[in-house]
Amino acid sequence: MFAELNSILNVSPEHFSTGEFVLLSDRQSDASFLLHHFLGFYLRAGCQVCFVALAQSFSHYSAVSQRLGVNLSQAKEKGQLVFLEGLQESLSILNPHDARTGSEAMDFLRNPGAGLQCLFQFVSSSVDHSRGAEDGGRGPPVLLVDDLSMLLSLGVGVDAVLDFSHYCRTAICSQLKGNVVMLLRCDGEDDDDDDVGSDDGSERLLRGLTHQCSLALHVQSLPTGYCRDIHGQVSSQVVQRQAGGQQRKMTFHFKVHDKGASFFAPGTSSAVL
Amino acid sequence: MAASVNDTCKQSVERTSLNPTSFQKKTRNKLLSIPGTRLSVQNGQLLVSTGVTSLDYVLGGGLAVGTVLLIEEDRYDSYTRMILKYFLAEGVVCQHELFIAAAQDHPNDIFQELPDPILDDVVMHKPADQPRLSSEPHGNLDAMKIAWRYQNLPKVQSGLASSSRFGHYYDVSKTMEPEIRQAAKCHHFYLPEHPRQSSATRSPVLDSYAALLKSIEEVIRREGFSVAAPLTKSRNILRIGLHSLGSPLWGDDLCCQDNPKHSHALTTFLYGLRALLRSSLSVAVVTVPSHLIQSRSLRGSITRLCDNAIALESFKGSERETGPLCKDYHGLLHVRQVPHLNCLTSQLPDHKDLAFKLKRKQFSIERLHLPPDLSETVSRVSRADAAGAAALASACDSGNKHLDF
Amino acid sequence: MLISFSICSTMLHDLLQGTDTGGLFIIQDSGSCSGRRLLWSFIKAALNRTEAVHVLSFEVSEDELKDGLKGSPIERLHFHNAYSDPLAWTGSATFTVDQFCVEKVTKLIKQTSQVKTAILAIDSLSWILRHISPSAVCKTLQQLKNGGCVANVIGLLHSDMHSRGTVGSLCHLATSLITVKAVLRGDQAMITKRLKSGKVLQGEEVFTIKDDLTVIGQGKPSRSEPQEQMCISNMADPTANLTFNLRLSESQREAKEKLALPFVFSKEKKAALLHTGSGRIVYEPDANDDYDQEDPDDDLDV
Repeated sequence: MFAELNSILNVSPEHFSTGEFVLLSDRQSDASFLLHHFLGFYLRAGCQVCFVALAQSFSHYSAVSQRLGVNLSQAKEKGQLVFLEGLQESLSILNPHDARTGSEAMDFLRNPGAGLQCLFQFVSSSVDHSRGAEDGGRGPPVLLVDDLSMLLSLGVGVDAVLDFSHYCRTAICSQLKGNVVMLLRCDGEDDDDDDVGSDDGSERLLRGLTHQCSLALHVQSLPTGYCRDIHGQVSSQVVQRQAGGQQRKMTFHFKVHDKGASFFAPGTSSAVL
Repeated sequence: MAASVNDTCKQSVERTSLNPTSFQKKTRNKLLSIPGTRLSVQNGQLLVSTGVTSLDYVLGGGLAVGTVLLIEEDRYDSYTRMILKYFLAEGVVCQHELFIAAAQDHPNDIFQELPDPILDDVVMHKPADQPRLSSEPHGNLDAMKIAWRYQNLPKVQSGLASSSRFGHYYDVSKTMEPEIRQAAKCHHFYLPEHPRQSSATRSPVLDSYAALLKSIEEVIRREGFSVAAPLTKSRNILRIGLHSLGSPLWGDDLCCQDNPKHSHALTTFLYGLRALLRSSLSVAVVTVPSHLIQSRSLRGSITRLCDNAIALESFKGSERETGPLCKDYHGLLHVRQVPHLNCLTSQLPDHKDLAFKLKRKQFSIERLHLPPDLSETVSRVSRADAAGAAALASACDSGNKHLDF
Repeated sequence: MLISFSICSTMLHDLLQGTDTGGLFIIQDSGSCSGRRLLWSFIKAALNRTEAVHVLSFEVSEDELKDGLKGSPIERLHFHNAYSDPLAWTGSATFTVDQFCVEKVTKLIKQTSQVKTAILAIDSLSWILRHISPSAVCKTLQQLKNGGCVANVIGLLHSDMHSRGTVGSLCHLATSLITVKAVLRGDQAMITKRLKSGKVLQGEEVFTIKDDLTVIGQGKPSRSEPQEQMCISNMADPTANLTFNLRLSESQREAKEKLALPFVFSKEKKAALLHTGSGRIVYEPDANDDYDQEDPDDDLDV
């Protein structure tokens, strides 16, 4: 959890809004440090967290979270964290053995064109199950997904991913008043001159998710080039649904350290001032 | 650093019994004693050398065990193949096990072309020498006159077994001696030898990749590289070299067609490979002829699925061949991706413009320096060339400090 | 509020009055500027005119819509929930996306209200286009427009989600097309209205929407305005903790303005320099002026 990001977004583990869909995206950069922030944030806030981790193994997240002061193994044992390790579960499907059966969450690998209904069912059952089991002392349920571009790489279509995110929003944000955080990694520059619909990749998915989300944090490298002290810039766009009307946009720079990240207004990096 | 390492050590003990995947390197003594590995200064990961010392430096100290290095091939596949051979030769020298897969040439051919390692010590451990030394210390023809205090010390070190240096140098003009080669255990996968199988449990991956994945998994399980395997015997590292994946010889139309039918075959395979590697003590080097892949987003997703990614661009055959850079270097090296595993930051090299040169005894990678403009007339033309060469991508990933060796 | 209404009776306000029937209004938006609140303004204006409004919602929940329409008479609002389960995954489907055809939609509308002047609002058409082919959607919209069970159909379309051809085909059917874009002062709407006579009206205006969903026109867009919103960063002011003073006090400012700059002439001097005048130059050489360069001492006998 990064304290500076909390103050920028005006939230704290004791006080944050629910029913939010946060979209983390990056282009030629790496936004996964933001995902670790949200993971630590919601675990500290005492929420029921379901983490669909398709990109890395459990020990990676555990090691990073430990540096940020959060113990994932303990949370998993207590039942606060439900962790789906995509890499491990996928082996039983990609390399079929008669002896092994993994969880059905990754069944979409067998037929990527069919959609992500099985993955959604895993998410909703893990969220419902844990809510039923606990005595209600937990906070609202939270879903984190890392990352959606893995799904695209595995052959799932853009529409299927948009349907999946829609259902997650319906189930978790609207019905259970929880939050959803999803990470999407895009590549290359966005070609606006190309025919929009023909780009069936991460750009179209990014546009579709931007319409669905309530807060979009986009990480990209500095437009002026590579810099050792400033790792990139984050532009945040808040969709105000209720009051205000306008969408507020903010840009700030960041630098990632070993145990956290610091955020500052453009031009006020400590290396410059 | 020590505290976190001990903690994870404890956790991994419990974890191995519950959850076989554990990527964080355990720092028990058994693992430290694997020859040819060392711990990273940055985040305590177990690293192996790629065989090219300068490439180790560029990648942040070495290749982390459990990761994949993607090399985007240069146009004629000459330098990429060289790096693959360096990687495998390093495995032989460090006594790791090898797994070579190829669809074009027989893996055995690749195995026989490995470069000869340059060792400081006398390479051959001739057993005949030993008894002679011990029985006749003084009547030896090699008795020293001046440095006689040293004459009883053993002259021949035991060769490869105690070669505990990290990263070796190779002489590419010679191939490795057959005796050294035979000492290494090597598994082969040659695609034409694996007929198409239609088994009951069909994998969703393309057949050739499915067979390869299955073969790798079998080797890992059988030879005990899996992290979950019982620790009765001492551990070793498996080095996997996959040559030219994605080329049409693997049955994949990724490179041949603009809109490939199997656009996700290679990426799904890489996902499965990552899953296998994260749960075993192995390292993989994959080469892909990405200059044939038309779709940029596909190249991007292939890069993202591998942890480390570099691209080699050789000057041969390109318009830069006559430029001033060609005299000093053989090509450019682009670092596409350096992972951050078990930590938030990654270590990118400070400079983005790197060039490589293959010398007889070293594959050197250096920061691109334009040679000085010494003549009036040539300067304008060469400046344009050089500007093109030096105008590399300005994209940046997160990365901060150097690694000090 | 009312004063500004009558003075600039803009195209946008005309559309909001909803005087025509048999029309298809399409609001086109993009990721950077959402048209949803404008859609809600249309819904509210219709409710205020005591018309029945049917909302077929795929992208917002009933709570969110009712929250946004707070303060409006929502008795005549009929919400058809296509948000919870549009693909029948959880088994609680009330309206699935496959049911988007003229028969089923007409049945849905007739079931809940019998009023003739009803409006159908669809949020959003993009959702439907992801699952149903564009030609089927166009056919359904055309039949609904002319069908008679609803007076007008309003749809929200995310133009950046589809190819140009798809967006173009749908907009081709529309009687009024509103494209919203974000600018500094508010949102800019480009309106194209096709009259029954064949005439096409076009207009551009900037507007903002207040909390209670009233649309305030801000006039015409100025050409020199930057098209995108500026990045606002309300963090640490870099001029805050400096060791030198960047500000001027009042007396300092006055002194600064009073200062006479060099090379700036006063008015009199300027006039004097500019004055051409009638002066002649008269030259009367005397003996000393007779200077012969070749004979400076004047002692040559010429």
